[in-house]
Amino acid sequence: MFNFVVKYAAPLKHIPPLPHVFDALLKICALFTNKNLLDYLDDLEREVLLWKGTSVELHKYGGTQFNYRGKELGHIHGNGLLDLLFSRKAKAELIKNYGVKEHHIFKDSGWISFQIKTEADKNLAIELLKMSHRAKCETEVI
Amino acid sequence: MKPPPITKSKILDGILISNIISLIVVGLTKFSVDGLEGDRLGGGSGIFIFSSFIIVPLLMGFVCAWYWHSLEMKTSRYIGWSAVSSLIAVLASFIFLKEGFICLIIVSPLIFGFVVTGALVGRIILRRKNDTLNVSLFGVLLLVIVADTFSGHENVSMVSDTMIVNAPIEKVWPHVVEYKPIELKEDYWLFKIGMPSPIQSTVDGHEAGAGRKCIFSNGYVFDETMTVYKPNEELTFDIISQPHDPEIMGHIDILRGQFILKDNGDGTTTVIGNSWYKLYVFPGWYFNVWSESITRNVHLRVMDHIKLLSEGNV
Repeated sequence: MFNFVVKYAAPLKHIPPLPHVFDALLKICALFTNKNLLDYLDDLEREVLLWKGTSVELHKYGGTQFNYRGKELGHIHGNGLLDLLFSRKAKAELIKNYGVKEHHIFKDSGWISFQIKTEADKNLAIELLKMSHRAKCETEVI
Repeated sequence: MKPPPITKSKILDGILISNIISLIVVGLTKFSVDGLEGDRLGGGSGIFIFSSFIIVPLLMGFVCAWYWHSLEMKTSRYIGWSAVSSLIAVLASFIFLKEGFICLIIVSPLIFGFVVTGALVGRIILRRKNDTLNVSLFGVLLLVIVADTFSGHENVSMVSDTMIVNAPIEKVWPHVVEYKPIELKEDYWLFKIGMPSPIQSTVDGHEAGAGRKCIFSNGYVFDETMTVYKPNEELTFDIISQPHDPEIMGHIDILRGQFILKDNGDGTTTVIGNSWYKLYVFPGWYFNVWSESITRNVHLRVMDHIKLLSEGNV
């Protein structure tokens, strides 16, 4: 359903509050299809908020956005799809070593997508977010 | 593990306050729109504007989140308690706004979806402890409600269905004008759970200006006047009075019905059934989906019956 809507109803994402309604529907669906997924999303959010300089906000196209000092680290949609921004070099490494995929829309960029379904996926998602956070912290130091 | 009393109390506060606010806002908008447009639209029988089913549930969810966000509840519990809050809102509509059972089934998914959205959006926004932003958001929602209340509310739609009958046009026409009781089994799920379905049609005469009655399964009668009566060609009728039922009153007016017959030249006839209706419930895109489905199934039930009668299968 997610891919269908993203592909064929993309212009609707600009109409408030439709992206957030869609994200809520994804979470309602998850409650019936993979209840643990919602707990994984909560765990992820709780974990990220423990790190230095992080905050969460609504992502403009639906989902929860993770920030470091107000700048986006990535965001997660209600179906457990985590989108993160890395450098292109880091992205190539991640695709090779961690089984993550190119971003579901922005293929030609540093964005990656990772689908969370299981607890192991959640742990890997936390690792990926940590990498992104670390990269942002290092950039700040430089 | 049993939740501590403060948790339970905050959850219940969220549900109670959000429902009280929604009842007041829906009551006020209904009263205001009736005053502004009642004489023109449905004689003041009550109009549910776009805000009633979208902004008010969003506001309800947001109010719930206002009470719940300090509890650090799981997302699944937010959805569960939002469902309880929605259910109470639906029951309150049944008791205080005298809404019908079928109408409430139709609006429930909309209310539930938007209450959950409001609660989950509120959960994230209220984390930021930015009171200026939070109050602004409330302000924006209230502004939309006021703007919506004072906007025009017109929504006329038409549904058309076509069926091929394996009988010559002169055999079909009499059954289009009036037909004996339908004995077909109900196959539309809303008819099966109690929505009245068409059962018989009778006429006072066979000319334009004569009266026609469409009788439904619960005994309700739609009184009609035939405005176009062209044998073997077209029958058009205006609905002059419809039953005073909470499922219909203030929600929809059936305006006109029409049957057009076309001779296919091979001993078969094409029957086209058209209906025009005016909705008083908004958002139109959502309620039109339901109205179209219901009207289509009314058409098909009647047209299937006409087909059976004309083909001599009854």
